[in-house]
Amino acid sequence: MKKLRGILAGLCAVPLVLAVAACAPGQVEGGDQPEAPVGSFNPADYAGETLEYMYFTDGPDEQATRDLIKKFETEYDVTVKLEVLPYSDLVTSTLNRLSAGNAPDVIRLTALTDFRDDLLILDPYLGEDYSDEFLAGPQLAVINDQKQMIAVPSDLTLNGPFVNVDLFNAAGVEIPDKWTWPEMIDKAKQVKEATGIPYAFAMDKSGHRLSTVLSQYGTYMLNSEGNALNQEKAVAALQPLIDMMANDDMPADFWLGSGSRYEGANEIFLAGETPIYLSGNWQVGQFVKNAGFDWAVASNPCAEQCGGFPGGKFMAAFKQSKNPALAAEFLRFMNDTQNQEQFVTVSGQLPTRSDLSKVGLTYADPATQAAMDVFLADLVITPEAGFAANGNPAFSPSATVLVDEVAKVVGGKKDLKTAMADLSVQIDDLVAEIDQ
Amino acid sequence: MTASQTRTASPRRKTWASGAWKTKLAPYLFLLPNMAIFATFTIYPAINGFNMSLYSSSNGRTFKWEGLGNYQKILTDQEFWGVARNTVIYTVSFVVLATVFALLIATLVNAQGRGKTFFRAVFFVPVLVSPVAVGLIWNWILERQNGLLNTALGGIGLGPVPWLVNPAWAMVAIIMVGVWMQTGFYMLILLAGLQSIDPVLFEAAKMDGASAWRQFRSITLPMLSPSMAVVVILATIHGFQSFDFIWTLTGGGPVGATTLMVQYIYENGFESPIRYGIATAGGVLLFIAVFILTMINWAVSRRQEAV
Repeated sequence: MKKLRGILAGLCAVPLVLAVAACAPGQVEGGDQPEAPVGSFNPADYAGETLEYMYFTDGPDEQATRDLIKKFETEYDVTVKLEVLPYSDLVTSTLNRLSAGNAPDVIRLTALTDFRDDLLILDPYLGEDYSDEFLAGPQLAVINDQKQMIAVPSDLTLNGPFVNVDLFNAAGVEIPDKWTWPEMIDKAKQVKEATGIPYAFAMDKSGHRLSTVLSQYGTYMLNSEGNALNQEKAVAALQPLIDMMANDDMPADFWLGSGSRYEGANEIFLAGETPIYLSGNWQVGQFVKNAGFDWAVASNPCAEQCGGFPGGKFMAAFKQSKNPALAAEFLRFMNDTQNQEQFVTVSGQLPTRSDLSKVGLTYADPATQAAMDVFLADLVITPEAGFAANGNPAFSPSATVLVDEVAKVVGGKKDLKTAMADLSVQIDDLVAEIDQ
Repeated sequence: MTASQTRTASPRRKTWASGAWKTKLAPYLFLLPNMAIFATFTIYPAINGFNMSLYSSSNGRTFKWEGLGNYQKILTDQEFWGVARNTVIYTVSFVVLATVFALLIATLVNAQGRGKTFFRAVFFVPVLVSPVAVGLIWNWILERQNGLLNTALGGIGLGPVPWLVNPAWAMVAIIMVGVWMQTGFYMLILLAGLQSIDPVLFEAAKMDGASAWRQFRSITLPMLSPSMAVVVILATIHGFQSFDFIWTLTGGGPVGATTLMVQYIYENGFESPIRYGIATAGGVLLFIAVFILTMINWAVSRRQEAV
């Protein structure tokens, strides 16, 4: 009897499962997306309204953002709710909210990849020429395939090397104004030997940082069309790093093990265990505050070409926003000349606006100013191909694959040539997947 | 006999009139709130997960029909087979070691005249620690250059072990930490089983001259087999589902050597580019594997009970 009951229960469950499975779990692809309403902005129409801004912070930028929000609220008589999330939760949380039809109005992002189809097209609200207010490089990431603007580049970052001036002085090694990769590595090793510190060189475990080296050796994972990797140049670029890890001049453990998939080597630099640390301008604020030694930003080393590798953050509004015109106006306000200047100088970032880049900026203290001047000088000579690479939606997942492949080489599972060939295949796959 | 008399005489009518249906219905009413929660938050997501595994989606809102395409992609993905291999190695080692250590500790604790509660609590403490904290603490202990364990090994003249940077040692490290973290829980189950064995059996065996080992083999182990079955089933499920402490301890590295099935699912479902279809198909495959193993465990333990 019990058996019969079980069989009956099973028979009932099967059609139930099949019935549920017969329905798509959401909207089937191919359906038309509603067109974003085109509106003209009249501040009085929005008095008393509320905007929600989903945000992640690197530190000092949060207060700068809060100050600007206060100014916006006063000028427009609206309320902006700032929701600060840990960076690791931002994408998942926002996707869940989009699924529930409850998206925030505005968001701060490092990459647009996962949201491209959900972002508000800004041209009807801000004008088709609005994107021209920004530098050509950062523009590449925010213009979609239909040549429409879907986000505003709100700040710019540039990768570059930090040097421990005290260690260089102790070793009697000079820090030049310009250097090549072999010269930089040679000097780093001299400092390590003379001072007895554990490492000569450190860099973050990041595909974005590795892209700096690729760029200097004349290749990129991507261009605006797709895969752009020159495998020979990539091998030439990464071999010195692999060799340094094999010789304990660079912390190999850091690339192989230890916890989270994305780790900063800033602690190694702050502990005075390496004379050179390849990272980016967002570290300036914390080094000003926490470094117990004299440090400086050095020029990026040159190989086939000079300059750094760009990154940055974006502000975007969602199509789901109840007040798209107000959301677009908020983006414009936060990124007008005066407000972007306030934001980037307080938070230690580089400007994305053409006018601010031309006039130069005054940062909060001399140490920050000195560091940012070097980054700004490198920005001028950074090839535009770097912006195209970083702006490709497949960049972020390709960067993860690059880190995995380099780790396999460091772990002795592959040789570098094979790893770069495998990387190239995976970049092709990712480009095809994201273009679907 | 009238028609109404016939109806009064019907057993169904009698049950209704006497209110016996209330007694029958009451348990279901008490169960209803829990069942509603279970159906909403477990059954429905599970069925919907299976459904999603037949589609591809990068945003969880728009879906493209794939049929069994996601399963085909997973089963032809080299990375998946590497992850499956890691998962099997981890789970088998974890189940064997956790069960053996739990049995050993439970036997030792049970043999204590005094302090039984104290030792029970001591071995149970790791179960109470958050898995994320466990990962971070052991990361600190196992660090190659300045970690506590290598410093201690150095103190007795042994060279540093690359716990988290060598693929083989990293697998040893996660098994070791997993066993450390869960053994206390399984020990409690086995201890309860040990305490339910009638002491008269041991006294009789002693009188017959049975050695301690013979008593253990012929009385303790057979009498403990239902508890052992529970432990093995729970440990198998736990082994297959391990993720959180490994994520904070090794991040699945070095070079994927400690990436297990749940991390594979997590990375597909939550890391760019997001692939909900692949992630849910991975979840379904994991469910099937755990379900089959649980059924086998259950059938074997029932057969043993019958013998």
